[in-house]
Amino acid sequence: MSGISALNIAKDALLSHQTAINLVGTNIANANTPGYTRQRPVFNTLNPSVEVGKIERVYDKFLEVQINEQMHNMGYSEARKDELDSIEMIFNEADGGGINELLNKFWSAWEDLSANPSGQAEKQALVSISQSLTSIFHSYSNEIRSIQDNVNTQIPFLVDQINNYASDITDINARISEYENNGTKDTGLNSLKDQRENFLSELAGIVDFHYIENSNGSISVFLSNGMPLVEGDQVWELDVVTKNHTSNPSFYDVVFKDDSNKEVINSIVTNGKLAGLLEIRDNGAEGYLTRLNNLASSIVNEINAKHKLGYDMNQNLGEDFFDATKIEAGNIEVSQAILSDINKIAASGTVNGDGDNASMIGAIKDELLMDDGHSTINNYHASIVGRIGQDVADANRNFDRHTNLASQLTNKRDGISGVSIDEEMMNLVRFQTGYNAAAKFFSATDELVDTLMSLVR
Amino acid sequence: MVMRISENMKFNTIVNNMFKSQDSYNKLSEKIGTMKKINRPSDDPIGMNKVLNLRESRASIKQYTRNIEGSESWLTITESRLTHAGNLLVKAREVAAAQSTATATVETRNFEADTMQQIMEELLVIANSKYGGRYLFSGTKTQEVPFSSSVTLAAETGVAVAADGNTFDGVAASGGDYTGSANKTYVVKIIDGGAIGAATYQISSEGGKADSWSATSIVPANGEIFLGDGMDMTFTAGSTDLATNDIFYVNAKTPGNYDGNDGELSIGIGEGTSFAYSISGEAAFTNKGGGNVDIFNILNKLKLALENNEPDVIASCIDDIEASSDQITKNISSCGTRMNRLEIAKSNLIDLDYNLAELISDTEDADMSEIITKLAMKETALQATYATASKIGSLTILDFLR
Repeated sequence: MSGISALNIAKDALLSHQTAINLVGTNIANANTPGYTRQRPVFNTLNPSVEVGKIERVYDKFLEVQINEQMHNMGYSEARKDELDSIEMIFNEADGGGINELLNKFWSAWEDLSANPSGQAEKQALVSISQSLTSIFHSYSNEIRSIQDNVNTQIPFLVDQINNYASDITDINARISEYENNGTKDTGLNSLKDQRENFLSELAGIVDFHYIENSNGSISVFLSNGMPLVEGDQVWELDVVTKNHTSNPSFYDVVFKDDSNKEVINSIVTNGKLAGLLEIRDNGAEGYLTRLNNLASSIVNEINAKHKLGYDMNQNLGEDFFDATKIEAGNIEVSQAILSDINKIAASGTVNGDGDNASMIGAIKDELLMDDGHSTINNYHASIVGRIGQDVADANRNFDRHTNLASQLTNKRDGISGVSIDEEMMNLVRFQTGYNAAAKFFSATDELVDTLMSLVR
Repeated sequence: MVMRISENMKFNTIVNNMFKSQDSYNKLSEKIGTMKKINRPSDDPIGMNKVLNLRESRASIKQYTRNIEGSESWLTITESRLTHAGNLLVKAREVAAAQSTATATVETRNFEADTMQQIMEELLVIANSKYGGRYLFSGTKTQEVPFSSSVTLAAETGVAVAADGNTFDGVAASGGDYTGSANKTYVVKIIDGGAIGAATYQISSEGGKADSWSATSIVPANGEIFLGDGMDMTFTAGSTDLATNDIFYVNAKTPGNYDGNDGELSIGIGEGTSFAYSISGEAAFTNKGGGNVDIFNILNKLKLALENNEPDVIASCIDDIEASSDQITKNISSCGTRMNRLEIAKSNLIDLDYNLAELISDTEDADMSEIITKLAMKETALQATYATASKIGSLTILDFLR
């Protein structure tokens, strides 16, 4: 073995350790960079010398998949939790007030009228309580609608975000496959992969997908039914349309931009924030509204039916107490005829002006009219509140659970991929020692060569 | 294998723990602030549902209690009016007893005839008393003066009245002689509108109560329909046909001076329990509808006997006046019985209300001692978290590398 080749060994050792020390620097510099994956040199023996064969990203691919899965769940449950919290505020009757209390006052007003059927004050009180009742129905209904609208306006933004992430991923795909083709080894490739992980994880919060890594290092992303969003360097953008939505024509539906039929793909968005918002808009809020409408229409129909059996102050048969054409929570109204003449309230059961009919109407509160004859009007309302409470409690629990799972998984990933300063310090000491030794070796070899040269002189 | 601990893990764990401790600390302090464990439906959905239903029950109880209190006042006034009437009858009996003896003279009898006139007038005022704008003794016709000063000897078929809102603008006239035994209101309701001879109708003899309607019949071509109890009603066409829900009614009266009816005012005092609280003037002052003696008639008879100086007739009135007193007393005791029943119902409701309040409190109110203990625990946990957080980063290998 020649002295010259020993010098080469020393050079390789110095360079390799320099690379390793640089990596320690990169790791320490990025100790607090979110999504950064630590890198380490892989030393290969290049007989008789050494090289840094590749710079490895230390990560667990399966953990990434699990984390993305939790991101879907978190996005979904967070969207639901946030919106349900707002709906719960509307229905929060824990401190009294609200529909329950007004219904009670409404029934009482009929009873009071039955005790004094000719009393103008009692009639006036009944009409104003009825108006308060109808207006609280309106405000509940309006507030639910405005939450639906609010949710609706978020949908195009989310779709935009999906498109942006998808095209970012496509860009990175193109650059990664270039790197792979050239066979360049540097930290650039790893940082591109880190970026792509970040985008995937952001995208995972919005919409559910699965992805595969192609042989050229690019990835393809597919929605839940296998429709592609990203294929290598090709992106399939999403779009929103407002078309014939069943409950509201201004509601957005998700479609593929290039689909000439604009086929609605809401149903294949099954997880993530977008799915959570669609669910709240189309089922959650809509469901509560339906129940509120049932309540309003039962009140209108039942009271009108009984009211028509009685007689007013002028011996006429009662007409509709509530406007029979407005049977939704959003538009329930006391009939104009009653509002303009309170003496049209049919309190009497006979033409003689007793209060029996008012008392019959007051007794509607005890009749099992709702849920196929299983609950009263008040019970039904209480069950709406109970249901919302249950939904919110479930959503909160789900959110907590997924947040915990996600943070456990993130912790686990940090355990594998995160930077530990202590470890880097130890590595620094190690590589520094290696570097010092290599330098010492170099000067020893240099002396050897000198000695050899002096023999010749 | 040893778990690697990265810098992010250290910080994230501490921050997460801090958030968790703060969250549960805040939730507890909210409960302390509101003294409630249910501050929104999701805190306890089933409990919230229960509370709302219990609140509804309490609101009903409050209303029933108010109904009972209203009826109690009505009965108290009724009782005092009847007691006053009883006192007048005692006076009348004294007059009759004194003036039936041989010591009485034409002059004393003439003088006492005036007394009797005053007693009768006062009794009429009592029988026509109002409470809260309604006549106490007119049955369910609370806006109708129950007793008139003039006595009719024959039954009366009232004038047929068309309700204000009717479409029909022809004439409806009543006819026939009423043969029934109590004051009633007959109502004709048009079921399917149409011309006379085509329209159909139903009749109610109970003022048009929902369940009192006869079968549907067609108005005959001559426009005459029979109401029952000897009465009829005849329609004469106008420019507009009979329309659905047109209402016509006739008040039928038995002989005497009572213009009310035999209905009773009632009010709900519990779920599905209605309570009749009015005393019918018919039963209290006349010989119909549960009464035995026509009191006004007896007093009038006594007054006439006094004017005409007829000792035998005066003497015969004593028994009748005693029977009248008995009748009034019977009704006074009926007031008492009803008030007792109301009192019992009310005290039951008060008990029930107390129980419900307790149930609501159990469901929604926070157990303060428990929460304060928990809060103290959370406080300790939070302090420990802060202490740990302040230490983080102070111990690293950097301190030892020189």
